[in-house]
Amino acid sequence: MIEHRYGVAGMTCGHCASFVTEEIERIEGVTAVNVDLTNDKVIVTSDRELALADVRAAVDEAGYELTGQEH
Amino acid sequence: MSTLDTTDPTKFMVDYLTSFNEEILRSDEDAGQIVDHYYANDISLMADGQRMGRDDLIAHVRPIRKNRATSRVEVHEAVVDGDRIAARYTLYVSVRGRDLVIEVHFFGRFTPDGRMFEGHMLTRNVDTDADEFASGQAANESEAS
Repeated sequence: MIEHRYGVAGMTCGHCASFVTEEIERIEGVTAVNVDLTNDKVIVTSDRELALADVRAAVDEAGYELTGQEH
Repeated sequence: MSTLDTTDPTKFMVDYLTSFNEEILRSDEDAGQIVDHYYANDISLMADGQRMGRDDLIAHVRPIRKNRATSRVEVHEAVVDGDRIAARYTLYVSVRGRDLVIEVHFFGRFTPDGRMFEGHMLTRNVDTDADEFASGQAANESEAS
């Protein structure tokens, strides 16, 4: 399993977290999504490498802004 | 904008909450400028344990616009003491094809020109099916007695 952390701006509550989670979960290979509201982070677990563009598009579709990926 | 000292507390809360959301959706104005109409620059808002400042509020304008979230509010009671207000209200939000019902208990402080500079809120998502069932049960019990 592979885990990546992304910065996402604009999430303020559990509803925001669920909107972002459900869009990222649609990406093929994603097995789990956890949102850390306090630190504006999303932790994504997948069974393959994910394209940053796909994650960005999913976050954008949910209405939010991906601010970066932690390495 | 309504102010605490000249407006009925219930109307103040309705106007404040409604016009902020409407202004975000209606205008193309810079998010920072809209937030600054409603919040003092040093706003300290604690919502369900999450601390939000000006930058967080500005960042939240984008998803409201993108998702065209609409809402209405019912204020159940509100009391004012100087620059402080306590209010209990319910938000009905439509976003991304969902209808959310959120109960809010709010304590806040406002500047003389009606901008929030301190806020504390606890929210509860209302399970409408369960609550309708509960109120139905109460009505049935009332009829039976």
